[in-house]
Amino acid sequence: MSGEEIQLLAEITFRTLWVCGSALVLALLVGVPVGIILGSRRFVARGLLVSSVNAGMGAPPVVVGLIGSILLARSGPFGGYDLLYTPYAMILTSTAIALPLVIGLTLASVGSLDEEWDLQVRTLGIGRGWRLWLLVREIRMGLLAAVIAAMGGILSEVGATNMVGGNIAGETRVLTTAIMMHTSMGEYEVALSQAAVLSGNMLLLAGLLTWIQQSGRAR
Amino acid sequence: MSSADTPTPPTPPTSKQSESPDGREARDSSLNEVALSAKGLVCRRGVGSEVFELRVDELNLYAGEVLVILGPNGAGKSTLLRALAGLERSANRRSIRGGAGPVTLVFQRPAALSGSAEFNVRAALLSKRMPKAERRERVADALARFDIAPLAKHDARTLSGGELRRLALARAFVLKPKVLLLDEPFDDLDAEGQRILSFDLQRAIADTKVAVAMVTHDLRRALLLADRIAVLADGELVQHGLCDDVLLRPDSPEIARTVGMINLASGRVRRRAEGVSWIEIEEGFEVPTATDLEVGSEAWIGIRPEHLKLDVGRGDGQSIGKAVVESLASDGLATVVTLRVRDHRFTTHLLSGRGLARRLRPGDPVSLAVRPDQVHARPTAPSRTHS
Repeated sequence: MSGEEIQLLAEITFRTLWVCGSALVLALLVGVPVGIILGSRRFVARGLLVSSVNAGMGAPPVVVGLIGSILLARSGPFGGYDLLYTPYAMILTSTAIALPLVIGLTLASVGSLDEEWDLQVRTLGIGRGWRLWLLVREIRMGLLAAVIAAMGGILSEVGATNMVGGNIAGETRVLTTAIMMHTSMGEYEVALSQAAVLSGNMLLLAGLLTWIQQSGRAR
Repeated sequence: MSSADTPTPPTPPTSKQSESPDGREARDSSLNEVALSAKGLVCRRGVGSEVFELRVDELNLYAGEVLVILGPNGAGKSTLLRALAGLERSANRRSIRGGAGPVTLVFQRPAALSGSAEFNVRAALLSKRMPKAERRERVADALARFDIAPLAKHDARTLSGGELRRLALARAFVLKPKVLLLDEPFDDLDAEGQRILSFDLQRAIADTKVAVAMVTHDLRRALLLADRIAVLADGELVQHGLCDDVLLRPDSPEIARTVGMINLASGRVRRRAEGVSWIEIEEGFEVPTATDLEVGSEAWIGIRPEHLKLDVGRGDGQSIGKAVVESLASDGLATVVTLRVRDHRFTTHLLSGRGLARRLRPGDPVSLAVRPDQVHARPTAPSRTHS
């Protein structure tokens, strides 16, 4: 591989991590609180919301990409922001893909707590903030599973990012879209090297998270 | 309850000195302060035809005293505890007034926080500000009080049922509560576990002067700790007072059954002589009571099993006729004897392994005797609709 090629690979990798990382953080920031609320409160529209979350967990990325494209296109409702074919569009659709996973898994781990958990903590006179801290602490294994699942969802999907990002060299080209392009052009060598970097990153992150999970369990 | 004449356990002397038939009055005039009071409490649960309503006009918990709440399943015992703890959403919160100090509830199935036993106790102090040393000391005290100090470093989720119960009590006591509410504290424990727990509890209550309200099915275990008894039925507080008042003088046959006065019958008052009223249960089967009743009126009677005597020789009570032994069952300590007098079934308790308890066989004839002052009687209430 030439120096130029390595530089290009590094640039794409860096962008991949940036886009995916931002999407992951956004999905967690929104998804965990929503999951906790859906899991611990009882209200009228709760059933409807939970089933749409469950449906969202299985939503095909391509469909998310299509909807994202329509919404962000010039003629679409959010066309004014000029986001289509930018990394921000990619972050938004990746977030949309990861969000149901984060909400769903948070919800499930809150639901697996004792039914009276909240009452039992409340009767100890523990303030609201500390109760939330205890709750997050109690479901931390479930939250880690949510992070891993969201990460996998974001890093592996290509349909949506390709559609709203456009795979523009130097702007919105990330590892997945690049691999797809090079494969379709028959440039297997380049595609393979990019695939190796992508898989390597994934393995590294999965390994790190698993290590955290295991050491947490042992405590 | 197997041997003693009075089924009440040793209780603080204050509760015994009262002559008043009404426990509340006696309490109010004593030195004990009210730790928590419920006045006009109403909770509503469920929807449509499944609505359950709990109504308590007045109930007070006093410092250093144990109130045992009894009642059949679904009477609203746990709901009452939750309402007193401020955890029942449907309760009118203003009806509950506490003195200063924490009110905490230990659930029937305590939830362990993930982490060590010590963390579980420490967590209860999370939002309390205090010097580190004091925090450490309070946690250590609470752990020691319920004998979990050796398990302090163990993962709380690996503890046994009994250990978890003790941990939950330590977690409650570390708060130095003014009011402690216990939901079935002896549930799922073996005899030894129950004995240890009731001993530890008794000491903790005496040390801290906490007011305790306890819901339980286990009447015998509860009586070891109880100062007062409240009986709930269908979401209503039907009777409450000092132990003896409720145990020996229940207001209705339903309450009598709940507090273990299981020998129940009804009849007409035939005659009255020398302060004893004779109630005819059936022709030729009359039971004497010291209760003053109008001749010719209808009345129901209740006799605690330990007050129904068999084959007494010299004058201990009045003979009331012959019965046939139907069955015998021993738990090692007490032998429960079921007897039949014509169409009526009665139960008495004998000490196992001695005298009659060893000799009797099903089918044996025995004679029954009672002391009139141990036969509780009340005029039969005009039939009221009961849902």
